[in-house]
Amino acid sequence: MSSAGGSNPEYVTARVRARKSALYGDEEYRKLVRMGPSEIARFMEESDYEVEINALGARHSGVDLIEYALNRNLARQFDDLLEWAGGRLYDLIARYLRKFDAWNVKTVIRGLYSDADREDVEDDLIRAGEFDDAVVDSLLSAPNIEEVVDRLSGTIFGADLDAAYEDYEDTNVLVPLENAVDRTYYGHLLDELVVDEATAQYRAFLEAEIDFRNARNALRLAQSGADIDPAAYYIDGGTLFTASGLASLSQNRDELVAAIRESQYGDDLSAALDELENAESLIRFERALDVALLEYTNGLGHVFPLSITPIASYILAKEREVDNIRAIARGREAGLAEDQIQQELVIL
Amino acid sequence: MLEVFLQETGTAAPAIEPNAAAALALGLAALGAGYAERGIGAAAMGAIAEDDSLFVNGLIMTVLPETLVILAVVGFFLI
Repeated sequence: MSSAGGSNPEYVTARVRARKSALYGDEEYRKLVRMGPSEIARFMEESDYEVEINALGARHSGVDLIEYALNRNLARQFDDLLEWAGGRLYDLIARYLRKFDAWNVKTVIRGLYSDADREDVEDDLIRAGEFDDAVVDSLLSAPNIEEVVDRLSGTIFGADLDAAYEDYEDTNVLVPLENAVDRTYYGHLLDELVVDEATAQYRAFLEAEIDFRNARNALRLAQSGADIDPAAYYIDGGTLFTASGLASLSQNRDELVAAIRESQYGDDLSAALDELENAESLIRFERALDVALLEYTNGLGHVFPLSITPIASYILAKEREVDNIRAIARGREAGLAEDQIQQELVIL
Repeated sequence: MLEVFLQETGTAAPAIEPNAAAALALGLAALGAGYAERGIGAAAMGAIAEDDSLFVNGLIMTVLPETLVILAVVGFFLI
């Protein structure tokens, strides 16, 4: 199975399992919800986030400190994964983690578009993707958007961005560029994925990710009633929707909900769908989507112990932890009540 | 006719001597142990890298497949 240049799932899964068990559990969240920003920062300093809090503590404070420490920690953890993994495993992990490359590219482009300071942009980057520091730094130091597109020409984003840049020049809005980046990411997610028993599970997870993304976009469009062509935001590769199907469903929320209910995800999401039918709130539903995905990958980790699945399960759990802590910190800063924040958290 | 032929070839010398067969068995057992330890060792190193206190456990787990070779050595002396 493994040879020189092959993959090394034993090593990576052992480390990942140790890291996963160190993530915050119910108990910690209950404590965190009662804390103010500075207490949260101190709490984080005593756990896995020590390095980041210490490194950033002098420059930032309060919620900003928490936010940047979370981003940096996420980047460090996921960079570790890519560093440990070899061969095929690397390819599988990188597929998903490229979403941070996409995020970074979009952040840099937005920064240039809005004339933000280089340092502000740099703080918002999450260097967790496949691009190494040299690439990210070269993007950061690009003087204009054209130069960014140019410097990305050797990467997977190159071709699509090149094509979208003409659109951008004509219209002077960022949407074509951002769309191009997202499409490239999702396009490569399932591209040439070699499927065996274990990666079939991983593919199911990636497809669920795409399906949920489509469902979310459609619901948002249906909710806002904006006159946008849904097909332009359709992401290829999922199993739930087709481009034309999604376009007609997003006109009618009830039909969309019914379509999701009848799909393979219907059972997992039934509680969330009930809520969606009764209430106007999309937030609860989106949270339910996150929980469903997290539950799914959590079980996945035990099915094929020596494959990509425990790693995927860790990646998702870590992302949710970061989201949760951010939600708590922001919620406390805005003065939300404890149970209101509790509702925002994605916990199993 | 056929029976006679079979009996005649049956009396010929075996393809490999008992000693050579035992050596082969020992070598194959060692190969199997090595393959088993490859995975366990990698996982143990991963665990130890995260948590130093797992060193002893990791070491024990890693050498467990050596019992295969020990049994093979016993077989080797029995022949």
